[in-house]
Amino acid sequence: MRNTLSLVLGAALLCSPLLLGKDVPPEGAAPKPLHLSTTEDFSLPNGMKVTLVPYGAVPKVAIRAVVDAGRMREGQQQTWLSDLAGRLLEEGTESRSSTDVANAVADMGGQLEISTTRDATVAGSYVLTESGEKFVGLLAEVLMHPKLPDSEVARLKADLSRRLAVEKSEPASIARAAFLGKLYPDQPWSKIFPSEAEIAGYKIADVRAFYDANYAASRTHLYVAGKYGPGLRPAIEKAFSGWRAGKASPVPPTSAATQYSLQVIDRPGAPQATINMGMGVPPPKSPDAIPFEVMNTLLGGAFVSRITANLREKHGYTYSPVSLVSEAGHGSYWVQIADVTTAVTGPSIREVFSEIHRLRNEPPPADEVSGIKNYLSGIFVLRNTVSADALIRQLQGIDFQGLDRSYLNTYLSRVNAVTAAQIQQEAQKYLVPSKMTITVVGDKSKINAQLESFKTAPGE
Amino acid sequence: MRAARIALLCGFFALAATPDAADSSFRVPVTYFKLDNGLRVILSQDTSAPTVVTALYYRIGFRIEPKDRTGFAHLFEHMMFQGSANLGKMEFIRLVEANGGILNGSTRFDFTNYFELLPANKLETALWAEADRMRSLAVTQDNLINQQGVVGNEVKLNVMNAPYGGFPWLYMPQYANENWYNAHNFYGDLKDIENAKLDEVQSFFKKYYVPNNAALAIVGDFDPEQAKAMVQKYFGSIPKGDVPPVPDLTEPRQEKERFASREDAHAERPAVAFSYHMPDRNTPEYYAMGIIDQLLAQGNDSLLYQELVKKKGYTGQVDAGINELGNMFNYNGPMLWTASLIHDPNVSTEQVMSSVDEVVGRLQAEPIDQATLNRNLTKLRSSFYDSLTQFSGFGRADLLCSFALFDDNPARINSIDDNFRAVTPALIQQTARDYLRKTNRTILTIVPAKKGAKS
Repeated sequence: MRNTLSLVLGAALLCSPLLLGKDVPPEGAAPKPLHLSTTEDFSLPNGMKVTLVPYGAVPKVAIRAVVDAGRMREGQQQTWLSDLAGRLLEEGTESRSSTDVANAVADMGGQLEISTTRDATVAGSYVLTESGEKFVGLLAEVLMHPKLPDSEVARLKADLSRRLAVEKSEPASIARAAFLGKLYPDQPWSKIFPSEAEIAGYKIADVRAFYDANYAASRTHLYVAGKYGPGLRPAIEKAFSGWRAGKASPVPPTSAATQYSLQVIDRPGAPQATINMGMGVPPPKSPDAIPFEVMNTLLGGAFVSRITANLREKHGYTYSPVSLVSEAGHGSYWVQIADVTTAVTGPSIREVFSEIHRLRNEPPPADEVSGIKNYLSGIFVLRNTVSADALIRQLQGIDFQGLDRSYLNTYLSRVNAVTAAQIQQEAQKYLVPSKMTITVVGDKSKINAQLESFKTAPGE
Repeated sequence: MRAARIALLCGFFALAATPDAADSSFRVPVTYFKLDNGLRVILSQDTSAPTVVTALYYRIGFRIEPKDRTGFAHLFEHMMFQGSANLGKMEFIRLVEANGGILNGSTRFDFTNYFELLPANKLETALWAEADRMRSLAVTQDNLINQQGVVGNEVKLNVMNAPYGGFPWLYMPQYANENWYNAHNFYGDLKDIENAKLDEVQSFFKKYYVPNNAALAIVGDFDPEQAKAMVQKYFGSIPKGDVPPVPDLTEPRQEKERFASREDAHAERPAVAFSYHMPDRNTPEYYAMGIIDQLLAQGNDSLLYQELVKKKGYTGQVDAGINELGNMFNYNGPMLWTASLIHDPNVSTEQVMSSVDEVVGRLQAEPIDQATLNRNLTKLRSSFYDSLTQFSGFGRADLLCSFALFDDNPARINSIDDNFRAVTPALIQQTARDYLRKTNRTILTIVPAKKGAKS
């Protein structure tokens, strides 16, 4: 199937109201059309999906296999086993040592990159165009015939354990893990950190069992973006057609907590408090998702957003506050993140609540709404043009959520259709302060008193 | 998506390197001219996406900020977003975002940059806004107090509350260098940041933020003749200034290995970094070090990865590069090649360094073979393509502005490849002997503080 995605970026409106006596910024020329590249989508007989999309000006090509072998496929007491499996894939194939693989990919101008997220394990590289077909062959060998050597397991477990220690010393990671644990209690992706004992217990047999259960053609989508020749598709068909089909499995359901909670994690001596506050919100497939995204961007998701203007540019409480909508499986949550000076922890949370209340109580003015919609339109262009991998991530996200590819064609018009009243309604419907999950990582001896008034749910 | 941030360190850069090989046709279009007021202007078209990057680089980095005001160059960068004659507080940011763009600024060793990435039709809007703030900084005491708070929080976030905060990028130059300009705390002592005065902000602006101390690059989908006319229209009448001469930045030759250690209240595992002073920029040895960087530490095929990660299992990754706050092209003064890694307590610094010595010793003992050299030239070429396209052309603008400001020759972007290809295995060996000597090295360790002992 071929999808042609092409659209015109909506004319951006003029920005801010300016004071009398000042020069007005030039509006610029008429907008140029954004032609989204044509994707070529096909499946192999064994069920592996493939998407090819031409991109860019330089002779490079990104080739990434997205395998349904992410953290959500780990069992109980198997946190980060998917990472260990991913790392072991780098340790050579049945016919090549890991050093041979590393040198071969370096000769192609890339390196083998394998990363594991909640949703998937992604294996691939960004290589020179002249080596695209060769890399496809190597990638197939790595995925289909890995050595998974027992001899490397102890070293890789030590690496995981070191990484765990580092992440557990970072306030952002600590806060995120605690926040998700509270928001999605007892659900596979909410467990961010394994225990030391879990890591210590992993055996090569566990890795092989995980590999056998999850690495297979029907659980894999290969994405290619960049410059490539007509030989690439046949190379893919040849390299991957012998892979066993395996069995696809559904994404497990998620359910976000709706009970108000405040948890405080002590970090003695910390000069800042790290705040995560949020709740479950409409999933990507919901008709509310795009209006909610516009609302989020206006509230805390852009530099000009209200919470950033308030916490940073008015009060100087923090450097990089941001609110975002993030996915958990097929669900979504909203979170406001801020690292604030310890002494203003309470006031910062109060300001976030006040901005939420303000948006719930009155619709935003028209020029603020149009500015935010233009911003989102521009960001959409960037997401589709900034790099080969950004383009792949965009397509991968749409496919993972089961959205139709026409999502891209209609995105801009749907963003531009959102009204001020809808923005207010989204805030009223979903940003309910009395249902919020709040996590604060900071020096308890200095922030406890400031947090007294947030220990019980606020009224609405 | 994250909002754009005003950052000291933009994380955009991987290590940049060399352009196309003889068999590849990709060349960067470069048009270079100067306005009568001295502004250096570089145009480079790329019509692969309907976007345009406007990047303005001022030749004022943190190296040469006032001695009693550490961190001032960076604090000043924040002030450039606080208001100009025709754009009040938040209006510059709103102008860019409401036109579908993103923006940022950063302060580095030898420049401070500001850039906007916008839909292609908004080039004129960006040029007008950048010219407005070059012409007129209009900031208040309240703005300054506000940004002192913001910058204080930036330092807390990136250094004081972070494990390995400032390691090695902020601390290593302070131990490895002797000349104050290269060796001071450029993020700034919090007291110095708090003591900064509004009149100092204005005089810093008058001194350094003038057209004859700046380079402007436009990269993306635009019409060159129209762009030229717009640049003349908005920047042409800004008066030039008297820019103070750059002070003596030279470092004395290092003759003795140095050691430093820092206790880290947040880190749970020890870490080690080691740096060597670089050969002077643009010399044959400098290009040889560009290849040595690839050989030693870029990619899983590199010698240090193979030794320290794969063979010895001391660490999971080795981070390394020339210029911890950028790449091997965007600086103009003494520089370090630095590598760092986190390891377990049962591995000693001595064990790590003896493995490093063994690897470096191999480079010094005999010339590398041609296949290995070719592999690393390929890696350089591939990563150079990445630099050119990074962030919709911002990476290209960064190289063009650096070459314009420091070499008055942005067209260099198309000839760097020749310099790398001129490097021989013998020169790599000699450079390893001359520069990767222990007496040219500083070792910095991070020691986790005993927990519960103090806060």
